[in-house]
Amino acid sequence: MKSIHKLIIAISISVGGSLTSCQKLDIPPTNIVTPDVIYSSEAGVKSFLATIYQNLPIEDFKYRPDQGFKTGGNDWENFYNSASVNGEEVGPFGGMDIGGGFGYWPYGDIRNVNTLIAELPKHVAKLSQPTVNALLGEAHFLRAYYYFSMAKRYGGVPIITVPQDPAAALSTLQVHRDKEQATWDFIGTELDLGYQMMPETSDAGRANRYAAAALKSRAMLYAACVARYGSVNFVDGPARAQGLVGIPADKATAYFQAAYDAAKLLEGHYSLYSANSDKVQNYVDLFLKSGSPENIFIKQYSIANHTAHSWDATMSPRYMTANALSRSYPTLDFVQLWGALQVTNDDGTPKRFDNRAQLMQGLEPRLLATVYFPGATLRGLTFDMQRGIYPSFSGTAVAEAAKQANSRSYILAGDVKTLFQGKQVIGFTGPWTGGDELTRTGFYVRKYVDYNKPQSAVDLNRSEQPWIDLRYGEILLNRAEAAMELGNSGDALTSVNQIRSRAGATPYASIDLNKVRNERRMELAFENQYYWDLKRWRTADVVLDRAHFKGLMPYYVFNENKYIFLAEPELFNREYTFQKQFYYEGIPGGEIGKNPNLLPNNPNY
Amino acid sequence: MKKLISRILVGVAILASSACTKTDNYNGPNASFQGNIVSSEGGNLPTSGGSTTIKLQQIGWTTPQTIPSKFDGTFEDTKLFKSGYKVVPTGGAFWPVYDTVTVNIDKGTKHDFVVTPYIVIKNFTATLTGTTLTLKFNIEAPVAAGLPTIKDAQPYVNTTKLVGTGASIRDFSDLNAKVINKEFTDLSAADKAMTLTVPNLIPGRTFFVRVGVRLSDSFNSSNFSEIVQVDVPK
Repeated sequence: MKSIHKLIIAISISVGGSLTSCQKLDIPPTNIVTPDVIYSSEAGVKSFLATIYQNLPIEDFKYRPDQGFKTGGNDWENFYNSASVNGEEVGPFGGMDIGGGFGYWPYGDIRNVNTLIAELPKHVAKLSQPTVNALLGEAHFLRAYYYFSMAKRYGGVPIITVPQDPAAALSTLQVHRDKEQATWDFIGTELDLGYQMMPETSDAGRANRYAAAALKSRAMLYAACVARYGSVNFVDGPARAQGLVGIPADKATAYFQAAYDAAKLLEGHYSLYSANSDKVQNYVDLFLKSGSPENIFIKQYSIANHTAHSWDATMSPRYMTANALSRSYPTLDFVQLWGALQVTNDDGTPKRFDNRAQLMQGLEPRLLATVYFPGATLRGLTFDMQRGIYPSFSGTAVAEAAKQANSRSYILAGDVKTLFQGKQVIGFTGPWTGGDELTRTGFYVRKYVDYNKPQSAVDLNRSEQPWIDLRYGEILLNRAEAAMELGNSGDALTSVNQIRSRAGATPYASIDLNKVRNERRMELAFENQYYWDLKRWRTADVVLDRAHFKGLMPYYVFNENKYIFLAEPELFNREYTFQKQFYYEGIPGGEIGKNPNLLPNNPNY
Repeated sequence: MKKLISRILVGVAILASSACTKTDNYNGPNASFQGNIVSSEGGNLPTSGGSTTIKLQQIGWTTPQTIPSKFDGTFEDTKLFKSGYKVVPTGGAFWPVYDTVTVNIDKGTKHDFVVTPYIVIKNFTATLTGTTLTLKFNIEAPVAAGLPTIKDAQPYVNTTKLVGTGASIRDFSDLNAKVINKEFTDLSAADKAMTLTVPNLIPGRTFFVRVGVRLSDSFNSSNFSEIVQVDVPK
């Protein structure tokens, strides 16, 4: 009896099950977002755009030139920057460790953009024509951004504008490299489309038409310099013979003109930040205040979304933060771009200072806002840099710095607790040689450091100030450089003097190319521009030829109760040499394995 | 329970004894390639670390490999796979060689490359006065037209026979470099007779010394003199 019951139950379950199941196998999967869902509304497209923006190769606080773009929640080592190998700073890299790049090859992201560009026109009915056009313009800008980041690394790369079909024949999937010139021209055209199709304004963090023009001025300047300077200073090889790297010199003028024209498009729409009449404070705030009329394209960070960066905790010493450490420091060579610091008397003896802060007197406000000098303050604490104590000091600065360490009469210390007759030997903020978490040069970075944060809040992954990827200051400098290269020195002078007057510097009466380039170095310091500038000017192998950099070491002279400053090699005295082959990075070996049509590789790889 | 454990142990023993019984039956690479980088001006090309290399491109393979040359201008690699390779010397201070040679590399394959150096250093003498070393030499260019700009000339001083770029004492070597930055054709006869000095050598030590002339070619490479031994008296 029992078994019959069981049988009845089993039959009814299986019959019932078979009646209701397998009716339809061909249903849309519920765990995959289909194009219909994404393209049915602007919000849907926005969610797709978010991925593309997140992976955009913006060289921000977290970018590590030897490892790549970082989007994780704990990418805190922000001192591994390109500034710390190119002489703006010295830092944790042991030498020119970033020349080979990190094998950047973002065709996955480019495929996303290509898909967007292919799909959008099919959804005009739901999205409306103006929306589709604006989004297409944005997509062209984004595609150009990706290609720009490859062109400046590899020269010519395969230009792929449609989402490839994975089932297609291998021969069509293995796309050949395009010439370098074609790659730059493609970037220029894409940015023109972006400028034409995008609206004038955008949400913060997204591009508008002026971002496209701004990026174009940057990119075309790069192409122009490759044409003008790359045709003089180059490494020969089959890739060069085929035009995969290198641009004919006679194309330079057209690219400089394109850079100039693009920069000019922004005139009247953006302006230099100058809200505060205190020039130092104004320049500090430029990088921290939201809504600045100078910001063209920014990248934002959020603690809640686990994307915050660690600039504040890694640029200042632990003495002034709640956690972590600093490891990269501005060099004296960089600081002296503004002119020699007045630390020696006419007879060569070091000037005596009553206190460290006197060193800052009369310096350009922009310099003081870019670098923390000995004697400056942050969060109520003083940068008390002191390398050691001289019980007494006689002789010239040069002679003293040239002596072997063991024949110098100074007192040094391995930690901040050591006292000499009741006086602390080294400062809480260094410099010392025991490690690199205190300055090796006598300076600290000030640009982008949020001075308003209470010390207890300065922790890792707790900094949210946006990265200003494109700002009007750069555009004026792009314009000045292009104008100068085109022989229009009047325009270059006007643009540079706008920058200088905002910086609190004396305006120039006349201008030359060297002044324009130096202005760029000073204005855009630590913004991950100078490394690429050195590369496109093709001067990196000259500037960074077994280069050693200097620091400015403050000492206390005990019997005089005064401070002196001596220019000495930075405390690790590291050497930096840029090989000529680094002007181009090698195409990643793994990619060549997948697609031999990428050969020939760049010269000397 | 005991039974179960012993059964498991038996199983493990069987698995262990049956695994890894097959040895790797592929031979390691045993072809070799060696030879000289011969200067067209006679003798081997004197080189240094991080300069001249032989670039090998295995036919049918995409990534090249290199054999660095030794300081005396010889090279050798005994762990290559037997195959056809396209080979070319590169990276050193000689006129670029564009034609690759195809070589079938097998056991004991030998090949010499002839290159034309940018600069030849002649009449190299080293004279020690006290602790100051004076180095004199003449430079000649087998082919002067189109020669890359001459950047600088410098001594290389080290405590071992391996002396050259990247293997020298900076205070004695790089810091005594003489900047030239001129075209060879713009140098006068007097300019081509060069003198370098290395002051303040340490008494009682033995040093190995050579001079190098650096050019701004693709590699910022240097032509070197031969290496001499200098004994500084106590």
